Formats: sequence, C-alpha cells, structure tokens
Amino acid sequence: MSDQLAARIKEIIVETLALEDIEPASIETDAPLFGEGLGLDSIDALELALAFHKEFGVRTNENDENNREYYHSVGSLVKFITEKQAEAATSEG
Amino acid sequence: MTDSIKHWMRRFSVWVTMGIYMGIAPVGYVTLSLLCFCWRKDPVRRAQRLQRMTAQAYRLMHRWLGWTRITVFDHQQRLPNLPKGACVVIANHPTLMDVTAVTAIMGGACSIVKPALFRRAMMNPLLRGLGHVEGPGPDPMRIGQVVADALERLRWGLPIVIFPEGTRSPPDSLGRFGRVAFEVACQAKVPLVSLTITCDPVYLGKHVPLFRPPHPTPHLKIGVLAVDHPDSHGADSRALRTKAEARYHAWLQTVAGAEARTYDSGPKETECQIS
Repeated sequence: MSDQLAARIKEIIVETLALEDIEPASIETDAPLFGEGLGLDSIDALELALAFHKEFGVRTNENDENNREYYHSVGSLVKFITEKQAEAATSEG
Repeated sequence: MTDSIKHWMRRFSVWVTMGIYMGIAPVGYVTLSLLCFCWRKDPVRRAQRLQRMTAQAYRLMHRWLGWTRITVFDHQQRLPNLPKGACVVIANHPTLMDVTAVTAIMGGACSIVKPALFRRAMMNPLLRGLGHVEGPGPDPMRIGQVVADALERLRWGLPIVIFPEGTRSPPDSLGRFGRVAFEVACQAKVPLVSLTITCDPVYLGKHVPLFRPPHPTPHLKIGVLAVDHPDSHGADSRALRTKAEARYHAWLQTVAGAEARTYDSGPKETECQIS
C-alpha cells in the first residue's frame, strides 16, 4: 500500500511540477525533495499541497510547524498522507 | 599616506559612524513610530511616504560613508530602463549594504524580511508601516501568504525587492534562486528588473564583519542586467527563473574575467537586456 502511495506521490510531483527530465521511478523515496535533493522550492511545495488535497483529500495547514518535516521526502509524505487519511477515517467513523 | 594608516583610519571611521548611528537611531525610531501612528488610517499612503523618507535617509547615509571613505557608492546614479512604479526587482546579494543602496537608488522599495527580525517588538510597527513583507521562515506553506502580501504591495504602486538567493551570496558566486520573485512578477504581470550588485572588495559579506573594513575602500556598484516582462516568457515563473539565473551566472563569469584582466579598473558592466 505504502509503495503504491509512494509511486503515486512521485507521479504527482513530476506531473504537477512539470519536471520534464525526471522519471517518477528515479525519485528516491528517502531523498530530500528540497535544496540539495530534487531541488524543489517553497512555491513547488505550495503547488504540491494543492495537488495532494485534490488527489487524496488531505489538507496541509499553513503555520503547522511540522510542514517542513512532512514535505522532506516522498517517504515522509507517505507517512503524512497515511496519518491524515487515518485521522479523517477515525473522525468520520 | 601609507596604506596601513588609511586602513586604520577607515576602521576608526567605522567606530565613529557606529557611535553616531547609536545616537541617531533612537531619534529616527521615535520619529518614524510617531509618523506611523499619525498616518495609520491610510496604510498605502503611509508606506509610500515612509519609503520616500527612508530612501532619503539611506542617501544621506551613503553620502556619509563616501565622505569617510568607508564605502564609495554613487547614490545619485540613474539606472537605465528602470520602470516607474510597481515592479519586482531581483538582485544578487554580496553585501548587507545592497539593501540600503537599492532603496536609495529606487527612492524606496518594499522587501521581504526574515520573520525573526520582522516579529521583533520594536521593529514590527515600523516594518509594517513601511510596507515590508514578513518572510516565510521554515514553513514552506507560509509562502502563499508571502506572495499574497507582495502582490498587495505591488497594487499599492510600490516596487518590491527580492533577493532570489534568500540570503547573502557566497563569495564570487551565486546561491540557488528561489521562485518567489518570479511567481510574484508573473501573477502581478509587472516587469521583472534584474539588478547586478558588485562590492569590490567585499564588505559586510558573509565573512567580512562590520568592524573589519577591507582595504582598499570598497566600491559598491549597481547596474541593470535586464528588464523582463513575464508575458514574454508565457507568465511561467519557472522559465523566468531559469533564464534569470543563467543570465546572472553569465554576468558573474564576465565580472570574474574582467577582474582577472584589469585588477584595478573594477567590474565591467554588461549591457541591459529588455524582453
């Protein structure tokens, strides 16, 4: 499940940010997305947040001090999205 | 006069200047705070007026720094092709003095300020009054608010200066460009002005502290590298950033080449490109 989610997140990153020269599968799950890693910036993070909300129904709150941690890598995004979806399922149930 | 004496005199001038600054700063702070309070009903007009006053103060400061030979900067120079009113200005960031120099030349400009400084109790009312924008800090999601605030300042008719590297440039090099400035220019559909700043030798760079002025006297120079309209790049902030970043790297190569050829003649200015 988490492998599928990671693969989908990689696809979303490439599609949303129009990273023409990058294959989704070439993005390492634990590599940093920002700075030295994939080289994304904060505007990219904002676009990804909108894409994740659209795809997974997960909202990224502004001023959440953990945002940097959530968006560190594909692996941390998998954890973030899984947790948020679980929280939503619990509150609905 | 020997170089050594000149150098020590410059160091002494820095101490004298800081002493004068410590005396004047509280007066300036109280005056600006009072004006902020008096003009509180119209934040747009308040920011415009305070920006003009700040630019005058910075011109005076640079005149003083020139008299004392701490740094030499022609604050009266007119930059070619500089649009009037709202525009996004980007620049490399070799020294802390470039903020005051750009403001002096442009007659006032808003900028993005680090949250740690912006939220200081003493500074916050003034920075707000001047129309400066609080930076994003470590939370990447805060950037949405930063862009929204920057767009508002442009609607006020004020230029906004953004250093795309986000911090001072490494010596003789450039940091990676962020996309905020380009995104703001694209969303606001205003011209993007690329300025080049050289400080030779570097003073108040990352590794040159205030009380250790270099020798010989640093010369600060500002030039216009290019003026781009976002529409000419399909209003695509990524494309605009890539082009601007490449242009700055090419310029840096030119400067390095010119310095290697003629050490004393200073950096060579490149022609301004308009697109």
